[in-house]
Amino acid sequence: MNKILLIIKREYLSRVKKKSFIIMTFLTPLIIAGFYGLIIYFSIKGINDKTDTIAVVNQNKTLTEKLTSNKNVTFEYVDQSFESLKKNLSKSKFDYVLLLPDFNVDNPKGIQLIGKKQAGLSLDGKISDSIEDLIRDYKLKKSGISQADLDNLKSKVTIDTKKIGDTGEEENSSAGASTIIAFVAGVLMFMFIMLYGVQVMRGVIEEKTSRIIEIMISSVKPFQLMMGKIIGIAMVGLTQFLLWIVLTFSISALVVGVFVSKDDAKKIVASSSKVSTGNPAAQQIQAAAINDGPLGNVKKSIENLDFGKIITVFIFYFLGGYLFYSALYAAIGSAVDSETETQQFMMPVMMPLLLGYALSLSVVTNDPYGSVAFWLSMIPFTSPIAMVVRLPYGVPGWELALSMGILIIGFIGTVWFAARIYRVGILLYGKKASFKEMIKWFWYKN
Amino acid sequence: MLSVKNIVKQYANHRALDDVSLEVERGKIFGLLGPNGAGKTSLIRIITQITAPDSGEVIFNGKKLNSNHINQIGYLPEERGLYKKMEIGEQILYLSKLKGLSTAEATTRIKFWFEKFDMGGWWNKKVEDLSKGMQQKVQFVATILHNPELIILDEPFSGFDPVNADLIKNEILELNAKGTTFIFSTHRMESVEELCDNIALIDKSKKILDGSVDDIKASYRNNTYQIEYSGAADLVNLELFDVIEHNDIKEGKCLKFKLKGDASVNQVLAFLLPQVRINHLKEVIPSMNDIFIERVKK
Repeated sequence: MNKILLIIKREYLSRVKKKSFIIMTFLTPLIIAGFYGLIIYFSIKGINDKTDTIAVVNQNKTLTEKLTSNKNVTFEYVDQSFESLKKNLSKSKFDYVLLLPDFNVDNPKGIQLIGKKQAGLSLDGKISDSIEDLIRDYKLKKSGISQADLDNLKSKVTIDTKKIGDTGEEENSSAGASTIIAFVAGVLMFMFIMLYGVQVMRGVIEEKTSRIIEIMISSVKPFQLMMGKIIGIAMVGLTQFLLWIVLTFSISALVVGVFVSKDDAKKIVASSSKVSTGNPAAQQIQAAAINDGPLGNVKKSIENLDFGKIITVFIFYFLGGYLFYSALYAAIGSAVDSETETQQFMMPVMMPLLLGYALSLSVVTNDPYGSVAFWLSMIPFTSPIAMVVRLPYGVPGWELALSMGILIIGFIGTVWFAARIYRVGILLYGKKASFKEMIKWFWYKN
Repeated sequence: MLSVKNIVKQYANHRALDDVSLEVERGKIFGLLGPNGAGKTSLIRIITQITAPDSGEVIFNGKKLNSNHINQIGYLPEERGLYKKMEIGEQILYLSKLKGLSTAEATTRIKFWFEKFDMGGWWNKKVEDLSKGMQQKVQFVATILHNPELIILDEPFSGFDPVNADLIKNEILELNAKGTTFIFSTHRMESVEELCDNIALIDKSKKILDGSVDDIKASYRNNTYQIEYSGAADLVNLELFDVIEHNDIKEGKCLKFKLKGDASVNQVLAFLLPQVRINHLKEVIPSMNDIFIERVKK
């Protein structure tokens, strides 16, 4: 036992003391905080601070109302012919010329937009939205609705989503907040298992190629060496994870505290809902955060998520999933002589993890209570990712317990399986291993 | 102190050790010889408990070999290696703590050996910054640091320059004089003759020869002698011996011969003395190298 501790200590310290570890640990929160800063910055400023001026040539006799300009687009109605505007566009103050031909409002066709440069998707979207609004208003008015009623129709809707908690009281929740947490947790889990699993494999290969393995296993059992390495690297992962959380929160808090005044904070809330209706790019970045309108709502539900539970469960699944996969990585490392030979073995190990990752972030986030989500969060190959993705939406206690139990059995299984291959593999040099060979090793007696 | 009894080790397609038994006496240097692939490393791996035999047993100090014995055995494998990115001092400390030494004890001993082996100032160096020979030295220190009763050395001199090889050799002899037992696996027969008390020769998974170096050599005496002389000899009396070689050398000639039947070397001398001046006479005893080649070729 004492020997395992010594091995854990070496594996841990030799990695934590590395420059790359220190740099990664401190740089990543800075980058994350930087992203926050950018998002906040653009929320205040608006993603698109450039205003396009568009000359409108209106040949349509039905649409008499004018397109309304907004922050990003200024419409200017001109009395020139479309052709001459087109010809002189490069010299004019206009960025684009928009032609509204005399179309039937039931079937608007022939609208053209000519620009100095190709109009982007977002501009295209904004203009067609504006025209659609115009046509709708026209039709509504034609059917006898007054302008006042029309203005009245436009109301801003915010849904206050709540769910009934385990104890029966209402809890603030928001699909947006849950989605953010689910995404972050899923991506982190995938990254962690990959990164640290591969580190285990590298460590094993390093011991094998440097030939220290013979010295090591004349002192310790192969199983002790393998477990010591796996646990040591797990602790490196946890250290990094906890440091990231602490650093990200404190740096973000600092950034927000220093650079964002109270007024700006209000502006963020106000402008964010505006921005999100406009630019699709901005929409994507902020969709999750602002789907439900005011940031305050999301904030409330974030506060309502049980972070203690999420982090505890995350750490459990990180350790479980990591143990499950890293043992397999250790077995792969033991079977090869250099990292370049690992590819053929990496694929079958990576596939379920990738699949779990892809499905968790699509199917599971869309339907966190469906049967796909359920099974993905039970099968130990995918449960570490699927379960942490499901967790923010709320998972029944028995499912969580069952999934954890299966994962524990799963990693005991892979550790046992991998250890039997490892003990043979590490002593064979210069022999090209195959799956068949590895299965044979499994059955070797000591 | 170490008895290997009827060890059999079977790998998938070949039998690495076939009913091998041998006896290593306390305080002796035991040579484990054999051509490449004979099964030496398999045997060493069983003694160091890296693998287990399929049948047979190993008795260490009167007890069946078990994990408590790991700390009493030091092993220098042929495939040397250290953690490249780790500092030397830390590395030896780590390896010796795995062998059960306390940090304080290990530190004192490392300092002692660094002093003795002229390795002062190496503590904070990384392995990758050392030459191969220097790494071997580090490894040797790591092997002996926990004062094992039995030290197993696999090709200990490979990679050393003559000066350092001598340093290591003297250290082996010094430790041996203090009572440490050695198992010594090598292809270099001259170092076997120089160092080993007893040997076992393994070929094709089987032990084909064992015993003390002196006895084995004695048993390979075949009445061959070599005489250097000056003057002209008329070698007509071939009743006494067969000529094996007869060459001119720097001064005079060298005659190598094998006695026939009951003839004694004195009779040969009596025959030669009236004719020539004898400069040198010695019995030709086969070297371990010759014995090795002869036995393995069979």
